[in-house]
Amino acid sequence: MLKNIRLGITFGIIAGFLAFIFGGWSVAVLGVLCGVGLGMAFSSGLKRQAPLDLVRQALPTAATASFILLILSLVQNFIIAPAIGQPPASTDIVVQSNLAGVLGGLLFTLIPVYLHGLSERQERIGRLVLLAVIIVAFPFVDNFTGLYWVAQVIFALIFVILGMGLNIVVGYAGLLDLGYAAFFAIGAYTTGILDSSLHHIFLNFWLVIWIAAAMAACFGILLGAPTLRLRGDYLAIVTLGFGEIIPVVFRNLIKVTIEEPLTCWIIPGLQKLFGSASTVSCIVITKDLNLTAGEQGINPIGRPYLPGIGLFTNAHPIPWYFLVIAIILLSIFVINRLRESRLGRAWMAIREDELAASQMGIDPVRTKLLAFAMGATFSGFAGAFYGAYISGIFPDVFDFSASILILCTVILGGIGNIYGVIVGGLVLINADRLFLPALKDFLSGLLHSTILPALSNYPTAQAAVAENANPILYRYLLFGLTLVIMMAVRPEGLIPNAQRRMELHGDEGTPAEPPSVEQKPSPKAKTAGKVKK
Amino acid sequence: MSEKTKTILRQILIAIVALYIIFLVGPIAGFDVPSIAKQIQAGPNQVIQFLIVGVANGAILAIIALGYTMVYGIIELINFAHGDVYMFGVFSSLTILSLTGTLTTKDPAHLIWGILLALVGAIVFCAAVNFTIERLAYRRLRNASRLAPLISAIGMSFTLENLGLIWAQQSWLVPSFGTTGGASQKDYPDLLSRLFQGLGYNVNLLASTGWGLRFTIKDLLVIVIAGALMIGLRLFIQRTSLGKAMRATAQNRDAAKMMGIDIDRVISATFMIGGGLAGAAGLMDGLYNGTAWWFMGFRVGLFAFTAAVLGGIGNITGAMTGGFIIGILASFSDGFLDSKWTEAWIFAVLVLILTLRPTGLFGEQVGEKA
Repeated sequence: MLKNIRLGITFGIIAGFLAFIFGGWSVAVLGVLCGVGLGMAFSSGLKRQAPLDLVRQALPTAATASFILLILSLVQNFIIAPAIGQPPASTDIVVQSNLAGVLGGLLFTLIPVYLHGLSERQERIGRLVLLAVIIVAFPFVDNFTGLYWVAQVIFALIFVILGMGLNIVVGYAGLLDLGYAAFFAIGAYTTGILDSSLHHIFLNFWLVIWIAAAMAACFGILLGAPTLRLRGDYLAIVTLGFGEIIPVVFRNLIKVTIEEPLTCWIIPGLQKLFGSASTVSCIVITKDLNLTAGEQGINPIGRPYLPGIGLFTNAHPIPWYFLVIAIILLSIFVINRLRESRLGRAWMAIREDELAASQMGIDPVRTKLLAFAMGATFSGFAGAFYGAYISGIFPDVFDFSASILILCTVILGGIGNIYGVIVGGLVLINADRLFLPALKDFLSGLLHSTILPALSNYPTAQAAVAENANPILYRYLLFGLTLVIMMAVRPEGLIPNAQRRMELHGDEGTPAEPPSVEQKPSPKAKTAGKVKK
Repeated sequence: MSEKTKTILRQILIAIVALYIIFLVGPIAGFDVPSIAKQIQAGPNQVIQFLIVGVANGAILAIIALGYTMVYGIIELINFAHGDVYMFGVFSSLTILSLTGTLTTKDPAHLIWGILLALVGAIVFCAAVNFTIERLAYRRLRNASRLAPLISAIGMSFTLENLGLIWAQQSWLVPSFGTTGGASQKDYPDLLSRLFQGLGYNVNLLASTGWGLRFTIKDLLVIVIAGALMIGLRLFIQRTSLGKAMRATAQNRDAAKMMGIDIDRVISATFMIGGGLAGAAGLMDGLYNGTAWWFMGFRVGLFAFTAAVLGGIGNITGAMTGGFIIGILASFSDGFLDSKWTEAWIFAVLVLILTLRPTGLFGEQVGEKA
């Protein structure tokens, strides 16, 4: 009982704190999200009982969370907002948003709890329907309430795709890839080159996105082939090296000149050396070709077109949102199928013990290469979508920090667990793109009304405080610390994968559980292994 | 034709094809043989000039590479944050120079004391930073899987880098940082030239020879100090009991523990020595190259790591040699190819060594544990 109340308090405080920072209508959206999370967390530890019994048990917890959310939101609305100089909201909006937050919080806590009382199948369907309703309703609610979060949430969803791709490489196959953003860059630049006025090529977006994915996969194989024999930490460094080379290449390919060396200087040079006149003419393949537009970036890039919706534009993010959701659903489907397939099981076998796996007839290099290629494919999709969505690509986006950001989402969510990665990506990127700017406004409002005037006699200190009280400066710092803290405290991530957790904790405890059922060796696998050898 | 000649012929064929491809595609990345030949013809002593710059930069790289290689030798961890510890060395020494008023003075005595103080300060500060990193991020992961400490190291590197970014905008602390924000490159005044000009020396030691070369007191000092540090480290590792304990730990941690060696203390000492060397390298690099930048730790750190790998990671002589080779390569690439491609070339070297000969030139001294 006490534990449940504590759960409610935790969720209430998190949601309330966010509502406290964001203000306005956010309390309604946060109430619903907090409710769903709380409901699922609450029911995860419980036995199946009669639905209404469960609901009765959950009621105090749900009420606690909603109450805390309401209190914090009201404090924000009536005390903080006027104090830091935000425009006062009308009474109607205050009443409506808080009411929606409290009721949404209660209702959406109780729905998953109620579903937990039904049969397993019904519960799963119910949860899917619930999630689907939230996903579909979110952009419209967002638009209606004037929060305008969708444009940033789309970024988070792009990183979710990237995270899912990296998860194949890091989570399933156990290869630490520190240059994953390179494939993202290749996908984006493929889109940029094939669908922009830079080279006057305008292919259809729906075609380009596949070419981009294929291109990224090819590069995955190309870069992977020579390096995958290396052991873990060396592989990480080599991928990092590649990851650094690729943006340098894209940044510098602005005057590409390729001249066939034999005819252009080797033979003429020799002839000159022996004193005869030059007789061959130089074969020039390209001369001063501006392939990638360098620092200026490729801008604009073509957008997708769908009959019925028309051309996608920046003014209307909702079509983009559903497009990226569709890509994610497709990816989840494909990745789940892959994971259960022979190849997926081979990845995990390689991750657990490469030597043993190769003795069982798995070709380690081929398996790893496929992991690299599959991971890169998703990155190519994300890159193509990103290029079209931003409608411009610049080499700086794809440097080391992007790779680390993607790695961070995977580690935070839970290595090897696709749903964990989705949660990690959403939490981390939304924290970066929505929460930190809001926190910045909040802090600067607070400082301007309290501390800064008090320091007016000390201009140096005033300037120093004003300059450093900008949370956006600390964003990458926070990502770095996330990695360190997660590795120290919870290396398996927020939503762990059972097998991976055992591995990461090494020999320091957690008694070994029996291996999962899915790794049953089939007679087919044995013969296939023999044939290959 | 015997089997052996066949393999040799095949290798020659592969080499020719590889060369052709390099000649074909190389000019994109600045590797344009005719124009390089023209440039050398125009001024042959450029080669020596770039060699001098390369050796001086290589000496700094070698000192940083020592930190990578020592830590790897002992706990088989790529201390990714090491490059950023070096960046902290640059910033901490610049801060000390600014606080002691050395940046603006022309008085030789003040300059000497300021620089020495900055050297000691940077060494102590970086040793402390590296010690703290080990305690916070690596120690508890010593028995975890191999990737966990590496991820932690990357996170630490990222953290330090961005602390450097924040440090670089504290203009109340160091007025010369200015108001351009933390991301821009900061000026690191050329105090050594100022000092020797103040003392009445000609900064260029080869000025009177008329060869058109510059070998400055800065170059000499950097090479001498780096050489002294390397010799000192060698002696320390071979002669002292702590050095012996370090070698024993590197050979076999468990056996060393059984012999009564306090492993934690040895590892901490290794990190502190590595950090101190990085701090010294930071000051030297700042004085030599004249810039302080929050991102320099990443780039130079990777260069130094390449050097350590080139020499055979875990091998101290290898790290020094590798440092000089990478320094010279980078300098030639800056001079003859194109400085914007240098990074790519050095990373290409890294990738090539790791794929073709992961044990480096001198071989890894630690046992292979895949």
